[in-house]
Amino acid sequence: MIMEYTENHFSLVLAAVIISLLLWVPVGVLITRNEKLASMVLNIANTIFCIPSLSLFAVMVTIPALGLGRRSALVALVLYSMMPLGRNVYQGVKVVDKSVIEAARGMGMNSWRILWEIQLPLATPVIFAGFRIAVVMTTGIAAIATYIGERNLGRLIAEGLTRFNIEMIVSGALLIALIAIALDTVLGIIEKQIVPKGLKVRRS
Amino acid sequence: MIELKEVTKIYTGQSVPAVDSLTMKIEKGEICVFVGPSGCGKSTTLRMINRMIEPSSGTILIDNKNIKDSDPDKLRMGIGYVIQQIGLLPHRTVAENIAIVPRLHGWPKDKINRRVDELLVLIGLDPETTRSKFPSQLSGGQMQRIGVARAMAADPPVMLMDEPFGAVDPIARNHLQDEFLRLQREIKKTIVFVTHDINEAIKMGDKIAIFNRGRLVQYGTPQDILSRPANDFVADFIGYDRVVKMLSLFRVEDIARPVGCTIEPNELPNAWNKMQDYQAAVCFLINSAGEPSGFITGDDFLKQGKDASPDVLNKIAGQRKRAFVEGDVLLRDALSLILEFNTEYLGVLSGNRVVGVISLGDIRKHASKKEGD
Repeated sequence: MIMEYTENHFSLVLAAVIISLLLWVPVGVLITRNEKLASMVLNIANTIFCIPSLSLFAVMVTIPALGLGRRSALVALVLYSMMPLGRNVYQGVKVVDKSVIEAARGMGMNSWRILWEIQLPLATPVIFAGFRIAVVMTTGIAAIATYIGERNLGRLIAEGLTRFNIEMIVSGALLIALIAIALDTVLGIIEKQIVPKGLKVRRS
Repeated sequence: MIELKEVTKIYTGQSVPAVDSLTMKIEKGEICVFVGPSGCGKSTTLRMINRMIEPSSGTILIDNKNIKDSDPDKLRMGIGYVIQQIGLLPHRTVAENIAIVPRLHGWPKDKINRRVDELLVLIGLDPETTRSKFPSQLSGGQMQRIGVARAMAADPPVMLMDEPFGAVDPIARNHLQDEFLRLQREIKKTIVFVTHDINEAIKMGDKIAIFNRGRLVQYGTPQDILSRPANDFVADFIGYDRVVKMLSLFRVEDIARPVGCTIEPNELPNAWNKMQDYQAAVCFLINSAGEPSGFITGDDFLKQGKDASPDVLNKIAGQRKRAFVEGDVLLRDALSLILEFNTEYLGVLSGNRVVGVISLGDIRKHASKKEGD
């Protein structure tokens, strides 16, 4: 039972994180090109982030195309990630030194090359900060999805609550924390590989 | 050659043009310095040449080709561009930074590597130790040099430099300027150079274009502008020391006269007569090693009398022991020395030998001379 819960929990988080990446990274990049669009998108992201998770899951269930179960859970989790991930991508790209972009344009690099070879690499530390927050957060919130039919570690906690079984509550919470820490550690290792070396060295 | 015809730029939301129907030609192989106060349109003009800014109206030609006919990115790949903030890519090594434009051109790897090393040597950095450093490991002066090397990487005939040495300390700036002028003598690029510092303009420019409120107020050689400021604005912009600045355009050897008369210490009692014989206003005292140890002038005899004792003359000459300059010293600095030693003359040296003499009167005459006179 615990194995099944853990697997379900893990796969839900993984799916949500992958979809969030595929969705919010391009959106974050796109909105750097248009300030009006950016403030609109970031406001929506902030608003969604403020909705209590239990009610967001509940709202998803009422949408006919989603219903009870994984689809609703996924959509809600991806929407939550919009704030930490989308905002950090936007800011990471935005704060790249203007003079670097100016020089690159002046040398004849087109905007696609500038994005790919300069802005995104230089934004990796900020993007990763947002991504790690999104992953840890998703792992935690995924537990709530148990109330809309997900059979994951959240169920361990929920059943522990109804039966007043402290062992169940604690083991559910610990396993969730373990998944979060494991994912964050893996991301930390990946981050070290991806963040360009030139951003880490200092004048000796 | 770069040609601007009736070029105007009005930024959206502004009623006053940033650049107002500007027409000018920049000759091949010359450094043309745009200079003027903030907001005078000099940077805007520079940035219109590589289409970083599009003009509202008018035409810009490079080698008789309208720049509007080229794709902006292709155009920029063929024009070197250096900005004050340099803008090195912090996540790329020195070699990768220099290689940006050659890479855009699709050069093969070994050609790029050779070019990078060649450029590093050219700007006075050791390829072995510098090549794989990151910008954050360099000093300000080194970064500035890499910025210039990067702009020259694909050997573009035209280079645009927007206050390229503005962010370094005065000593490093002076050094970079000298180095760049030495480089330019070899590479002979057509260079547009923006600065707000008139001294830098005088030093760097073959031609100087003075801008004010979007208009070209005066365009000419440094000497032309210093000797004939077109109006009060130019005169004010140059400053009260206009004439002294002009003296920085010339060297002592340009106006030095040959030595009229020399004497050895034992001839001092005879000095007056010898100067009369040679009709010389100044007479150098030469020691046994053939080195000058000072000089006496006609004025000294007016003050001390024709029969001044050799001891007095020797003492006067000795006070001017250091009143000598090399021929390549700027006239401005020579004038400063004349004032410092409170003399009318300076001896001109070549090694340890005195080879000429310049006088305050000569400098004064030269300073009031106009170009072409």
